[in-house]
Amino acid sequence: MPDTLSLSQSQPQQHAFNPYTENGGTILAIAGADFSVIAGDTRQSEGYNIQTRYAPKVFRLTDKAVLAVNGFAADGNMFVKKVRQRLEWYRHAHAKDMPIRAIARLIQTMLYSRRFFPYYVYNILGGIEEDGTGAVYSFDPVGSYEREACRAAGAAQSLVQPFLDNQIYFKNQTPAPGTSFPRHLPLSTVLSLVIDSFTSATERHIEVGDGLEIYVVLAKNSPSIQGLRDVRGVSELTSTDDGERVFVVRRELKKD
Amino acid sequence: MANADGGAYSYSLTVFSPSGKLVQIEHALAAVSQGTTSLGIKASNGIVIATEKKSSSILIDDSVVDKVAVICPNIGIVYSGMGPDFRVLVTQARKSAQAYWKIYNEYPPTRVLTQEIANVMQKATQSGGVRPYGVSLLVAGWDINRGPSLYQVDPSGSFWAWKASAIGKNMVNAKTFLEKRYNDDISLEDAIHTALLTLKEGFEGQMTEKTIEIGVVTVPTPKELEESPVGANVRPKPTFRKLTEEEVRDYLAL
Amino acid sequence: MSIMQYNGGSVIAMVGKDCVAIASDLRLGSQALGISSNFQRVFPITDRIYLGLPGLATDVTTLRERFRLRVNMYTIKEEREIEPEAFAHLVSSTLYEHRFGPYFIEPVIAGLSKTPTGGIKPFIAATDLIGCINFAKDFVVAGTASAKLFGVAEGLWEPDMEAEDLFETISQTLLNAVDRDAFSGWGAVVHVITKDKVITRKLKARMD
Repeated sequence: MPDTLSLSQSQPQQHAFNPYTENGGTILAIAGADFSVIAGDTRQSEGYNIQTRYAPKVFRLTDKAVLAVNGFAADGNMFVKKVRQRLEWYRHAHAKDMPIRAIARLIQTMLYSRRFFPYYVYNILGGIEEDGTGAVYSFDPVGSYEREACRAAGAAQSLVQPFLDNQIYFKNQTPAPGTSFPRHLPLSTVLSLVIDSFTSATERHIEVGDGLEIYVVLAKNSPSIQGLRDVRGVSELTSTDDGERVFVVRRELKKD
Repeated sequence: MANADGGAYSYSLTVFSPSGKLVQIEHALAAVSQGTTSLGIKASNGIVIATEKKSSSILIDDSVVDKVAVICPNIGIVYSGMGPDFRVLVTQARKSAQAYWKIYNEYPPTRVLTQEIANVMQKATQSGGVRPYGVSLLVAGWDINRGPSLYQVDPSGSFWAWKASAIGKNMVNAKTFLEKRYNDDISLEDAIHTALLTLKEGFEGQMTEKTIEIGVVTVPTPKELEESPVGANVRPKPTFRKLTEEEVRDYLAL
Repeated sequence: MSIMQYNGGSVIAMVGKDCVAIASDLRLGSQALGISSNFQRVFPITDRIYLGLPGLATDVTTLRERFRLRVNMYTIKEEREIEPEAFAHLVSSTLYEHRFGPYFIEPVIAGLSKTPTGGIKPFIAATDLIGCINFAKDFVVAGTASAKLFGVAEGLWEPDMEAEDLFETISQTLLNAVDRDAFSGWGAVVHVITKDKVITRKLKARMD
């Protein structure tokens, strides 16, 4: 086949480089009245391969802000690094931690600055607002964001989000006559919902599993501390004495 | 006019004689009544079908001659008449049972399989270029819906359910004998002995495990049914089986 | 976009204590455009078997008629009603006949089967579009909201629910799942099959 031969010799071969990978996993955050819970599984995969069973996706930024990143792990890690750098600069300039509302806006500008070569990550920011309320901010990869009471993102978003709609927002439920649904749930309920969400997602989604990290951010003097003490696998990460407090609960998830 | 029996009508399979008969079918029945006797008895807890197996020469290795055939794990048949025709029907019946299994993942009820065989035999009475099958069959089987059932199928394709019946050379005597012996709550063990006794009437030569074939349907107990394994790759426990020569010998000895 | 998503729609079936439930939405769409909010895709096969047919709407109609024929023939020939297990295999073999040009339907079967001792046993199953059967002990889902249904069902379902609890669970599962699916919703219907009756209820759902 002389034609084909000459063609393949004369035509330059082009190889497209794909700078993105999808690394699976799921993250989730729920805001309470005076606390915020931010969770993520620890499996990192590429296609059908598990790269590691422990790659954290949830990061403590300050004592009042925790950031969960999901999507392309390399971008995610780099993005967290850059956010932390900006927060450090803020500390140097202002001698205090950046409020979560400001972190949210910072993240938007940082994401949008890469509008035409985005960080391939979905961000969920959780923590305590300056007024002491629990907050959750969710972002798309290019910086569109909103404050919500709960949000799931990542591989099992479609499994978890409708469950949360039902259990957090009481969607499709009607309260008993003369009663109303609570606007915020107690920490113990939120924790069991988070654990249920991840065990369910682990059961039905191959990219979710291995380990679970649940960060809990409590407002100053929050009474929710009571229920957290005897939770199995809890440890405190707080770095300051008289402010918000950060805890992490580590649990195992199925590894198959 | 071809011959005295049916005249011109006797050769054409699909043409009725003026008296309303398809004489080829009658000839087929005649072929059946020349065949060795077979019989079936329905008992309270099972069914027995039995036949005599006669070799035309002592030189024939009769261990490979099968007159009772397993169709599927719950159904077996026996015949009187022409051996080669029987084998064709066995093949068709087995195919039909497997086709049913492929669709429903279970074996056909006795009645459905009997109907399928009867259809095959009926086709041979109405198609061009063929002759009717020269056999009558006794179909014995068990299914969850109707329990144990015993059917007879004739060359015409007609079929009936029996409590006990006989076909072949000695059928008239055998049936009379069975009518005397039969009662509704006979046990399978008794039925097997009755079957042997019936065959003994008019049996030519020695009745041995080599010259007798027996097949039995055993009705599973409720406990067995409840415990029966389910799943994609488990075979159902057979309810029809042929007795081994040893078993036949033991029954003959009693 | 896949032909499986062309008309939208979802079905779910769940096992309870001596009962089963099957539920579906009522949307018929043409891609993003809503056409009907009363499109039935769950059909009674016998008094004790229901069949859900999510997928391409034209095949819903065709398969429904096909199974009606096959089941009627079965009933006449065998002089008995078909059992859920046999029906599931009938569905499977019918779909596999079209292995290389399939119907774009992923059927869901729910029914009560008779045990040899005269009792009843809940039965559910689902198949893919070429008839590979999934016999589940808890719940089965299919359709455009299947991922959402899996997530909610996995969180809400528990073993041995009585008929009323099962109704509530399957309804909540379906409603919350289809509310997050653009191609499903626009009303819903639930059938709960028990020993002595079938309860059919239309649900009040979001119509957006």
